[in-house]
Amino acid sequence: MDGQLPIDTRPWPVRRDAALHDQTMQQTIGVVTKRLANAKVTAYAAYPEANHWRQRAVEVKRQSIRQLEEHLATFTQQVESHGGKVHRATTAADAIQTILEVAQHHQVRSVIKTKSMVTEELELNRALENAGIAVRETDLGEYIIQLAHEKPSHILAPALHKNREQIHALFDQDALVYHTEPPASEDIVALTQYARRRLREEFLAADMGVTGGNFLVAETGTVVLITNEGNADMVTTLPRLLVSVVGVEKIVADWSGLIDVIQQPALSGVGQRLSSYTTLVSGTRGPDQWEGPDEWHVVLLDNGRTQLKDTPFEDVLSCIRCGACLNVCPVFRQVGGHAYGSVYPGPIGIVETPLLTNFEVLPELPSALCTLCHACGEACPMNIDLPGHIVQLRQMKQERHMNAIGVTRSYRWWARFWATPHGYRRSMRWARWGQWWFVRHGRIQSAPGLAGGWFKTRDMPPVASMTFHEWWDRTRGKRQ
Amino acid sequence: MMSEEEGRSQTLQLFATCLIDLFRPQAAMAAVDVMERRGATVEFPTAQTCCGQFSYNAGYHREAADLARHWVAVFDAALRRDSQARVIALSGSCAAMVIREYPSLLYHDALDRGDSVDEAERWQERAERVGKRVIEFTEWLAHEATAELPTSGIGVTYHNGCHMRRMLGITSVPETVLQSHGFSIVPMEEADQCCGFGGTYSMTEWPVSTAIADQKLQALGKSREMGAQCLTSADFGCLAHLSGRLSRRRDPFPVVYIAELIALADRGPVTVEAVQQMAQHKEEG
Ligand code: SF4
Repeated sequence: MDGQLPIDTRPWPVRRDAALHDQTMQQTIGVVTKRLANAKVTAYAAYPEANHWRQRAVEVKRQSIRQLEEHLATFTQQVESHGGKVHRATTAADAIQTILEVAQHHQVRSVIKTKSMVTEELELNRALENAGIAVRETDLGEYIIQLAHEKPSHILAPALHKNREQIHALFDQDALVYHTEPPASEDIVALTQYARRRLREEFLAADMGVTGGNFLVAETGTVVLITNEGNADMVTTLPRLLVSVVGVEKIVADWSGLIDVIQQPALSGVGQRLSSYTTLVSGTRGPDQWEGPDEWHVVLLDNGRTQLKDTPFEDVLSCIRCGACLNVCPVFRQVGGHAYGSVYPGPIGIVETPLLTNFEVLPELPSALCTLCHACGEACPMNIDLPGHIVQLRQMKQERHMNAIGVTRSYRWWARFWATPHGYRRSMRWARWGQWWFVRHGRIQSAPGLAGGWFKTRDMPPVASMTFHEWWDRTRGKRQ
Repeated sequence: MMSEEEGRSQTLQLFATCLIDLFRPQAAMAAVDVMERRGATVEFPTAQTCCGQFSYNAGYHREAADLARHWVAVFDAALRRDSQARVIALSGSCAAMVIREYPSLLYHDALDRGDSVDEAERWQERAERVGKRVIEFTEWLAHEATAELPTSGIGVTYHNGCHMRRMLGITSVPETVLQSHGFSIVPMEEADQCCGFGGTYSMTEWPVSTAIADQKLQALGKSREMGAQCLTSADFGCLAHLSGRLSRRRDPFPVVYIAELIALADRGPVTVEAVQQMAQHKEEG
């Protein structure tokens, strides 16, 4: 069944122009993406076995997806034997309903969360708030975004587009609201200390914790969370009620598989050999244990994922959300995450958004946000064929008649003429004859039709008065 | 500079690419000059048109396949005449299209048209066979025994096209070739970044494409400060994009295709004036 994804309803040109005019965002994104991409390259260079382990991880992920249903069944059995409850959600709406029911059953009034792209996919915060439940994000980046009433602009670093000055202003404002001391200065330590202090109060007050999950281990029924801040430790242990919402594709068969993959998100995402904290949840608090929730629900989300199984796009389900493809993408570096209009931006977002929703939303993504430079394909640690998929999606759009008819006609005529030497030469003569309407100072400066966009910002030399074909005919032709 | 180790001259079938054919024929003339000076026999299959990459990347695979089949037929016929001959491509990107994309494109298109699997496999096999004999110009040149030319001291900054780098894996070869022909290489910051061209992407999504080009020109500015006197590349598509943008910004910085620089060096000591003149070559309206 097709999935549902929330979108920014502004049309692409509006989103694009907003991004291209936001110089602070462009600068911040440019600097941080380059830093992350370089950190990855440096980390790989300093780690001789990096590629060996990466390759192992790819195999583990591919293999796990091939036996998805079996592993999910084992996982469910294990979780339930340790006191947890597993719910399968086919769509985003199903997941929301399940989570709300759990929260309402326990009369939850406040929720704390770890960073989770899946809950962004569900727009869970909005659903909870509409039900009168307060939500607090505890990942620093997510917390900043929440204060700014924005959405993440990057799958790994949600506040990537914000600079220190902007963060300081947000915290200052928050301090006013909560009658607490504002951050001492704009430096990173002061800002982090402020967030720690504020979040600690919220941790202690919350009735329910909500986590995502980086991996699911079938063998033991474990949800694995990796963070650099340790906030997941608190979210999973302080509140008495815990809900973990995880995409079905996060499954791995066993611990040895987990060991093979666990390094990868941080290694490719931020150039760190391992993330600072790894949090494991394997069940509710037993009688002899002093940690863990009294009640634990795991919501396994499909939302369009399993329909990619056994298709040429199956490798997409191996994504570990490291963000490496975003960091190297020239388009992402210009427009940032919000311009994509999807919770999943960058190359992986271009591919996943139409696939999960069967082109229901944002069908412009594959065509409008990719130059096909192949940088993402080179960067992806999971060997996902992102550029190949983008070309394929463009072809699917064309087959479904989703392109403007004028554009399609241009390509048809182009191919018709250029598939024969005679037609090629004829079209060249026409171009040479017609182009003089558009030549200024020896350069073409405008053109009709498909080519018109080029000349908005660029010139082009005119078609040569003697093309290479003609030169060859004239100077060498007789010899042959 | 003649390299005739095998006692007979090698035959090179030139794949000029449509962009060079129409907009910068001097680039192909220079390449012919370079190849002939090294003792090769150059042939130009005159039925060639375009590799179809524009259509392929835009998702028009049926249209691209029409052009691809024509390309394969033309060069297959040319190669059959000489089992040692190779195809020299004047673009890393077009070479990548032929080598990397044609086999599966032609296979799938044959099936889509209702051909038998046998027929589809024949097209795939034919495309693979021809593709194996395609080599990008600078990579060919790097294998030629060339006497090191004295340094001209001309500072050149090189743009490595994305497909040449990522699909063919050619990274430092063109710079080495330039160096051995007396040019000094001025590095480009973030050299692996795209120039924003992307075929028809530059037309349909010109605001983003231009923003990426301007980023590249900013990096170019730094190379210029470090002594670059000219920009070159083994992909004319990228160069047309960047020089088109420079021209619109009324910036006269010289941009030339790599074979033109090599041909210039072959003919004797290179001067900045000669490079500028070559770059400025304009058609008279
Ligand atoms: S597609 Fe690859 S590079 Fe991009 S986020 Fe997923 S795993 Fe990382």
